[in-house]
Amino acid sequence: MAKRRKSYRRKSPIAVTVIAAAIVVLFLIRLYQVFEPLFRQQVFKDGISGPLTAGLRLTPLGSALLSSITYLVLSAAGIVVLIGFLRLRRWSWVLLMAWTGVSLVISLMAYFYSHPNYAVMASDVIIAFALNITEVQRIFKIRSGNGGPSF
Amino acid sequence: MAAQASDRPTFPVTASDLELLRCFEPVVYYTQGEQFFPTDVEHYVRDCSLWEHYPDGHDELLVKQGELDLDKLVESRPAAFGSVRYLRFVEPLSLAETAQVLAAQARLRRRLRNYFHAGIGRLARGGFLPRLADGLFSLSFLLRGKVSAATAAAAELDYNEALKEDPKYVYYGRVARQNGWTILQYWFFFSFNSWRSGFHGVNDHESDWEMVNVYLYEQDGQLVPEWVGYASHDFKGDDLRRRWDDRGELDLEDGHPVVNAGAGSHASYFRRGEYQAEVTLPLPGWVSGPMRSWNKFWTETLGQPAANPFRIPFVDYARGDGLAIGPGKAATWSPAMIEETTPWVSRYRGLWGLFARDPISGENAPAGPMYNRDGSPRGAWYDPLGFAGLDKVPPPPKALTLLDHNCKKVIHRQEELEKLIPEKADELQALGVRLKGMEGNPHLAKQHAALEKAINQLAEEVKGLRRERSENSALLQGLTQQLGRVKAGGQDDPRAHIRHLAEPVRGDRTFRNEHAAETWAAISLSLMLFAIAALVFFPVRFTWAGLAIIIILFVVADSVLRGAFIQTIGQITLILAMLATLILLFHFGKWILAAGLVIMGISLMVQRLRELTG
Repeated sequence: MAKRRKSYRRKSPIAVTVIAAAIVVLFLIRLYQVFEPLFRQQVFKDGISGPLTAGLRLTPLGSALLSSITYLVLSAAGIVVLIGFLRLRRWSWVLLMAWTGVSLVISLMAYFYSHPNYAVMASDVIIAFALNITEVQRIFKIRSGNGGPSF
Repeated sequence: MAAQASDRPTFPVTASDLELLRCFEPVVYYTQGEQFFPTDVEHYVRDCSLWEHYPDGHDELLVKQGELDLDKLVESRPAAFGSVRYLRFVEPLSLAETAQVLAAQARLRRRLRNYFHAGIGRLARGGFLPRLADGLFSLSFLLRGKVSAATAAAAELDYNEALKEDPKYVYYGRVARQNGWTILQYWFFFSFNSWRSGFHGVNDHESDWEMVNVYLYEQDGQLVPEWVGYASHDFKGDDLRRRWDDRGELDLEDGHPVVNAGAGSHASYFRRGEYQAEVTLPLPGWVSGPMRSWNKFWTETLGQPAANPFRIPFVDYARGDGLAIGPGKAATWSPAMIEETTPWVSRYRGLWGLFARDPISGENAPAGPMYNRDGSPRGAWYDPLGFAGLDKVPPPPKALTLLDHNCKKVIHRQEELEKLIPEKADELQALGVRLKGMEGNPHLAKQHAALEKAINQLAEEVKGLRRERSENSALLQGLTQQLGRVKAGGQDDPRAHIRHLAEPVRGDRTFRNEHAAETWAAISLSLMLFAIAALVFFPVRFTWAGLAIIIILFVVADSVLRGAFIQTIGQITLILAMLATLILLFHFGKWILAAGLVIMGISLMVQRLRELTG
């Protein structure tokens, strides 16, 4: 009878899977946010047909383009982070935490000043708390067990 | 003489108190830049005026400068409740005099080449939020009373004049005998504490009293040193003392304990170095209570390192690279004896310098060696053993007797228990048999209940006795081991009693971008205020968001320079996530609750089905 080969691969905690899933969700939402303003301004139909600025202010078209570019950067960062995260790289934890922080700032600004996106906010919250789990931090070599106040 | 004491200096018990004091007097190392050294009170008092501050806020001059001496100081003067008597070393200065003394101070320092270089400043060592609290602390001096820079300068000039006239360094020695210990107290008087103005510390005040204790025990007609206790910031009780043979902590020079004095603060340290002292801003209960709860949640639930933004880091520089005073040094001690009958010690309860009206007392001068600022007796004087946590520690020769006595007492009790337990256990069994016999007889119900109660009581007693025997057995084992160790001349770990060890921060510690960190520490708070000022020109509705973003950016920039980026970014994100959680709970509380219950239900169902299917 053939012996079953014993697997020595380290098992990731469930939190890593949850975070990866949340990154995918966020990526899809951000991707939608990349195209939504461009569709609204009919950029794919008419191209960039008007001015982007009027004096020091952005026109609606300029605003839509800036918004799309911002979300495109966030989406691209999400892909890079996801790859690094699944390969358990330390830098990906740092980048993801920074990315989540920036995303939370944007979400909170949106909540207080315009239209909140609760799905993004919830995903960010899940990622932030999951990244803070001791086990996850140990896997990514973030926490060594001690540390002083950082502020 | 005990074996462990053989390498220690001893002195015959018949020696006079002064001889004893001289035999163990410390060698004190000061930091380069120190401006004040231990001086004599007589000269100081002659340079002072005597004042009374009354509860209605006015001050009365009791004795003018130039007319005061130690005899006049202790004259009986009735005073109202709530009044404060104080000396004044530096008289109020006019604007012209202020400019003159500051210029003269600069000239004096140039002439003496007595400069202090802080190195990595305290602000770069702490984080951004403590720096913010430090700004508030500095601003608090606008509301609190404080000693001015000109007063510090005038005190320095006066002290140097006095030192030129009479170049001597004084300690006031006292010998106390309590519970088998002989305690040598060395009291040092300074005419000024210049920690804040001279060394970026917490406070300045006229006059300063510091103290060092040496604890001796008697053996074979000789006094043997066992412990040394130094007065220090942030520490008390057991943490203040070191054992004579603890070479890692206590340096000796030719049998004299070495003290490293904090620059300006004059606090005493065992090891050379720079000590981080922390001052917590006094907060009202409605702030400190929630802060405690938040800290508990932050550290225990979220696993983050404890952080108190209201704690301001200060550095006490005890580098020991300046003047050294003591036996074998260029500067030596001029001892003077004091005791409770010394009039200026016991009969003057006032402050030894300016009462600056500082409500948190940091800038008010201290009282004398025997009293606290409020005139109540000072613990270090009437209870020198308790001061260093030695009130519960017997001298080594007595320890042996006490240990032996304890062992015998426990052995005797064990013998008693060995007899008592079988007797009680037999009695319990007999009662048990009787109880069994009553069963099935309804007419004996009353007696059955009473007997059952008695049996329960006896069972508890037997259980208690057996527990006592077991505990005594463990105690006896410990005592016997300790007795054997002491008889063999062995000693415990010399630091076993220390809970918080005062450790100097690493002097060689450097940041990756040290200069940038230093510069940033110096200017960041001002830059942030400028950035906040710029917010005024933006629409009001963005003010709070702008403020939050500015603070976050400054904290992150600070963390990059201090090499704490990862930790900081994690903590900021966590705080933002908590805020977002509150928002989500506010809007979707019902849905979140329902989802939580559904998840719990599914989880339970999976578990139970697994049990069911094996």
